Amino acid sequence: MRIFSTDHKVIGLQYALTSLVFLAIGFIFILLIRWHLAWPTDPIPLIGALLGEARSADGVLLPDFYLQLGAMHGTTMVFLAVVPLAVGAFGNYLIPLMVGAPDMAFPRLNALSYWLYLLAGLVMMAGFFLPGGAASSGWTSYPPLANIATMGQTAWLLGMFVLVLSSMLNSINMIVTILQLRAPGLTLMRMPFFVWAMFVTSFLLLIAFPPLQAAAILQLMDRLAGTSFFMPSGLMVSGKALEATGGGSPILWQHLFWFLGHPEVYVLILPAFGIVAEVIANITRKPLWGFRAMVGAALFMGTMSFLVWAHHMFLTGMGPTMSGFFQVTTMIISIPSVIIISALVLSLSGGSIRFTVPGLFALGFLPMFAIGGLTGLPLGLAATDIPLHDTYYVIGHFHYIVAPGTLFALFAGIYYWYPKVTGRRMNDLLGKLHFWGSFIAMNGVFLPMFLQGLSGMNRRLYDGGRTYTAFRGFDGSFQIQAWSAAILGLVQLIFIVNFFMSLRRGATVGNNPWNATTLEWQTTSPPPAHNFAQTPTVHRDAYGYGINPGSKDPGLHRDFSPQGEP
Amino acid sequence: MNVPYTTARRSDTGVNNVTLGMWLFIASEVMLFGALFSSYALLRASATDWPSGPQTLSLLYGLINSVVLAALTSVVWRARSRSPQAARPLLLLANSLGSIFLIVKSLEYQHDITANLLPHVNTFLAMYFTLTGLHAAHVIAGVAANFWVVKGRVDDAMFAGRVRALALYWIFVDIVWLIIFIFMYLL
Repeated sequence: MRIFSTDHKVIGLQYALTSLVFLAIGFIFILLIRWHLAWPTDPIPLIGALLGEARSADGVLLPDFYLQLGAMHGTTMVFLAVVPLAVGAFGNYLIPLMVGAPDMAFPRLNALSYWLYLLAGLVMMAGFFLPGGAASSGWTSYPPLANIATMGQTAWLLGMFVLVLSSMLNSINMIVTILQLRAPGLTLMRMPFFVWAMFVTSFLLLIAFPPLQAAAILQLMDRLAGTSFFMPSGLMVSGKALEATGGGSPILWQHLFWFLGHPEVYVLILPAFGIVAEVIANITRKPLWGFRAMVGAALFMGTMSFLVWAHHMFLTGMGPTMSGFFQVTTMIISIPSVIIISALVLSLSGGSIRFTVPGLFALGFLPMFAIGGLTGLPLGLAATDIPLHDTYYVIGHFHYIVAPGTLFALFAGIYYWYPKVTGRRMNDLLGKLHFWGSFIAMNGVFLPMFLQGLSGMNRRLYDGGRTYTAFRGFDGSFQIQAWSAAILGLVQLIFIVNFFMSLRRGATVGNNPWNATTLEWQTTSPPPAHNFAQTPTVHRDAYGYGINPGSKDPGLHRDFSPQGEP
Repeated sequence: MNVPYTTARRSDTGVNNVTLGMWLFIASEVMLFGALFSSYALLRASATDWPSGPQTLSLLYGLINSVVLAALTSVVWRARSRSPQAARPLLLLANSLGSIFLIVKSLEYQHDITANLLPHVNTFLAMYFTLTGLHAAHVIAGVAANFWVVKGRVDDAMFAGRVRALALYWIFVDIVWLIIFIFMYLL
């Protein structure tokens, strides 16, 4: 296997391994934070001593480093771990297989997109070794704070610039592959829901990311060329008037950032919906309930996601008219999510569900995403958002969507497609331990956040805000969260062991171990170069589960009809 | 391996991969420049005083470059219906026009800098340098792409597809320039 390969399968695996490493890095960042919040004066065991004097005093995090960890945890998880895993890894590996294509439409651009992603990640991480450390103005990099931050912020901006290029190449590739390289007979409505989800996701990345690139260029100009795009007039820093022409608008950054930021939420969740839909159809042995409505909902959700961004900005004083508009659009966009999640739940009814490991993760996704989604409604209305803004309630809300939500879906996907990629199955018992351990530990971390947030606990306070009288009394819940996070980490070790052990010891499987219907299961495991011995022809829609009397197959006892078989 | 529909049209979508890819790229670029133009509008609308473009910048440089870039675009546009033998010299001609554009642009920058018209002086100049700089980067990328197509040894259908994509790209770069020209130099 060549490192500089243009094969979409190799690139998909490169994306997968790199993003899993970033996932681990982002998780270590938060472990340090969790320890610090629970026991702010105790030195961090093991790693504390390695952090160095600039970052810790005798193993206790220093305030600046605490802020760097917070900003880089968010950045790493969203931009370098979850999206590249969902879109770069799953998308690259599976889309050509699912549409019956020999490769992506532009294989060389595909390789370039991976290497740019890696470069972007390294540039951002390099911030930790610059004087003043990494970016520390939150993952949202709000100016004027970010404008006057240390050099790490410049690394963050340069990394973001490169990352947007990478994401643009990947999404162009994805859209062209889906539209142009579909096998004969694979009409749009015959495409699996995962392909539809990736199609909408790619459009969101293509259209929503460039405004953040523009914002990054403007902030780089502010930091390097002394301009004042985001610097208001008369700004005082540390008691001194800042030397800048002024006249800029910090709110402009927020508009540009959230114009990406909100569609990004759907970039995080749509691939998860796609994976869960594939797995649920497979474990219930039934066609998806309301497939056409799900596709319509995904398209509507994608479109609406461009019209909701300012619900992140109710506190900027943009006025009741603007707030009113964005509240309405925000309430409207909850409808397609509910359609998709309801269709998935209804798909379960009447099925004889097979509780495989991917199935457990997919089923775990449903209530977790529901908690995350429903707790978001109060944040979409200005009256309730204003007191909850910047509290742990917000953190609880979006982590339920991306951590036990999207990450569970991604784990479901890893367990589900692992046999296709390696030709071996992952260990079931270890998989189940991984699921139940993660399920309990995730809730132990995130459930207390709602209560903390409702009591007013602010999201970014060093030492958990113990300096302030109002924020004392959270020690108990912070410690529950720290223990849960530690257990969550240990449970992931089971996954890592299982992942590598199964490469050699896993039970070997045939082409189609799950008796699934979509095209990727009709080639060998792992698929050969260029995927299919001959271009497949598609004869039916993606979920030919259940005994099909129309099938010419003599074995009517078989409960699935692959898309590629007549 | 051959990726299907790289040059041939797919009947149900009506395009080939290269053309569709270029349109999607342009869609993305529209959002990039669109965000910058929106920022320009917002900053200008909320500014207490905004310098007059025609009085600050030199209209002559802008006009010359508008003509040069329009000529460049029409040359590439003409190349798209030609055979590779006829198209290659046209693309090289386009590249010399691109070089003229960049030379004029750097002379203009030099003129600005000596007159102390620098990005940190005011938000108008900050926007001017950001937009024209990013646009010039697109011209450089286009010139490099032209060279890459001229040097490429591919079959005629592939070559024609590439030139068509180049033509789309240059039209986009030209339109962006016209918008910059109108909002920076004229208004």
